[in-house]
Amino acid sequence: MMRSRVGSRAPLLAVLAVGLLGAFSRAQAEPYIAVQQGFKCSQCHVNPTGGGLRNTYGDVFAQTLLAAKHIDTGSNVWTGAINSFLSIGGDLRYDYTLDKVRNQPSTNELAMQQARVYLDASVIPDRLLVYVDEQVAPGGAINREAYGMYWSAAHDWYVKAGQMYLPFGFRLQDQTAFVQEVSGINMTTPDDAVEFGYLRGSWDLQFDASNGTAGGPVVSNGKQYGTQLQFVHPGWRAGLALDLNDSATSGRRAAYGLFGGLKTGPVAWLAEVDLVVDHTVPNGLRTAGGLLEADWLIARGHNLKITAEQLAPDLSISVHRNGQTRWSLVYEFTPIQFVQLRAGVRYLDGIPQADTQHEQLYFVELHGYF
Amino acid sequence: MRLAGATRSILWMAAALAAGCAGNGEGLDQNGQPIGSGGGGPLTPDFASIQDNVFTPICTRCHSGPSAPEGLQLDAAHSYQLLVGVPSTEQPTLLRVKPGDPDHSYMVLKIQGSAGIQGGRMPLGGPYLPQSTIDTIRQWITDGASMSQSMAMQAEVRAQRDAFEVVATSPADATTLTGPVDHIIVAFSHELDASLVNATTIVLERVQGNELLSAIGPPLAATLTLASGNPADVIIRPATPLGAGVYRVTLRGTGGGALADVSAASLGTDYDFVFTVEAAR
Repeated sequence: MMRSRVGSRAPLLAVLAVGLLGAFSRAQAEPYIAVQQGFKCSQCHVNPTGGGLRNTYGDVFAQTLLAAKHIDTGSNVWTGAINSFLSIGGDLRYDYTLDKVRNQPSTNELAMQQARVYLDASVIPDRLLVYVDEQVAPGGAINREAYGMYWSAAHDWYVKAGQMYLPFGFRLQDQTAFVQEVSGINMTTPDDAVEFGYLRGSWDLQFDASNGTAGGPVVSNGKQYGTQLQFVHPGWRAGLALDLNDSATSGRRAAYGLFGGLKTGPVAWLAEVDLVVDHTVPNGLRTAGGLLEADWLIARGHNLKITAEQLAPDLSISVHRNGQTRWSLVYEFTPIQFVQLRAGVRYLDGIPQADTQHEQLYFVELHGYF
Repeated sequence: MRLAGATRSILWMAAALAAGCAGNGEGLDQNGQPIGSGGGGPLTPDFASIQDNVFTPICTRCHSGPSAPEGLQLDAAHSYQLLVGVPSTEQPTLLRVKPGDPDHSYMVLKIQGSAGIQGGRMPLGGPYLPQSTIDTIRQWITDGASMSQSMAMQAEVRAQRDAFEVVATSPADATTLTGPVDHIIVAFSHELDASLVNATTIVLERVQGNELLSAIGPPLAATLTLASGNPADVIIRPATPLGAGVYRVTLRGTGGGALADVSAASLGTDYDFVFTVEAAR
């Protein structure tokens, strides 16, 4: 669903907000919210594969259901709309971290993890848009996404072209999750691409063709091709993703992903397993990563996230000998709309002889979004 | 990959995930590779040591494969060629590694989290490299950022085994990019004979945007240099940054004085690539 324009629709939005409050007793954010609510990503985001700018539904949802307390703004509901054609949004994450790596001095710091600004210019409302995702901090600005997208009249298919994140499994907020690193397809590696999507009923299907260099120098050798198929049921979902990168002169790299979600009462479960077969390195390399995540919606505005991850950096050596695990416990508190506080610990464990595979990371994060 | 193999791998992963156990490291070195397969040893200001202790175990978790962030693959087979003397994609005015000058090497700025970098400090999300490790990398660059003797020997073996050829260009053939373009990179499979790099062997021209690709005017003035510390790459810097138009780079690989590697092996054929520059909007 694309962002609907507001203009004089504020009273309508207020009604929508009230309706949402009545319709759902609980709400959460990011991929697990989709599992919790039985939504597709396109329900709340301009990008049908998720992440980035929220559409009107997503904005209202975030304001009315995500927070423990909703500060009433009357009929003035933020929708990001500047006018009938332009909309903006953003995310800001500011962290305090304490990092302990075995046999290294611990470090702690306050740091801007990320500040992003999104712009949607819907030159033909609900049909044709130009979208920009600019990371403005830390450091200098980096353009992450810039593409044009055309929707069919029935919103059952679309075409995107430009620089974009490619679809592959769950688009997790944690870009350091093993499954994000293994596939190499995440929100740090946008690519110049053309993407076709078909959204019909419970099915989502995407095809994409890209340079396969994630912003690096382009060679003429080949391209990257990917596809993702997902079935979304209100109580569960399952999907598979395939990606073949033929852009390197030294060989091909193929990635396979299986992912799924399940809702059991207040707990949303996410699971993903990715396998990469990389022939761009001498003798080839098979790598795999797995994720199992449980999000317990304790009460409105309170979410407890527990994540177990497994990494097999080289499948020619058994996971029993060479595997790495990572456990995360993260508490997410959203006191009022637009403000979220996160606190957590991540525990990385690996082979005894590698100090860098033994890390304890404690963090507190302020997450602002609009 | 056979389906059975993939299925077995995924089931293996699922079982390991359920067990939640890290590897016991039996028979492996600190990089998780079988003992004796290479690598290991303390960190020293030597490229092979930095590769084994930093790039391979830490950086390649993300920086591997053709779609590595910013196209920077840091596995042992690619890292040196993509680091030393190669302009950064985030800040093209800086080299990723500038031999002799760590303060102006973008990789150092990124791992230090220095002011002015684009994006996050590396390794992204931490843990960041200890200062002692950063100091060792700085020392390697200060010392000239040379390839280790053992790696140089491996490169020499590869050079003898592989043909001398163009392995990559930036911009690539038949691509369109937004101008102005102030440098072009041609990466060869072997170290070039620098004496053969001149305006007769590497020609940059503006051409008509039709099928004939006829040259418009004389070749464009450009500075031709081997990438600092990476003599398998040539950097072409036009005297005037390239604006909107179609351009062709021709590499002369035949005849007297043709481009050749240090073993006097020539390309054997002329090579050209064409790209289009669009005006910035």
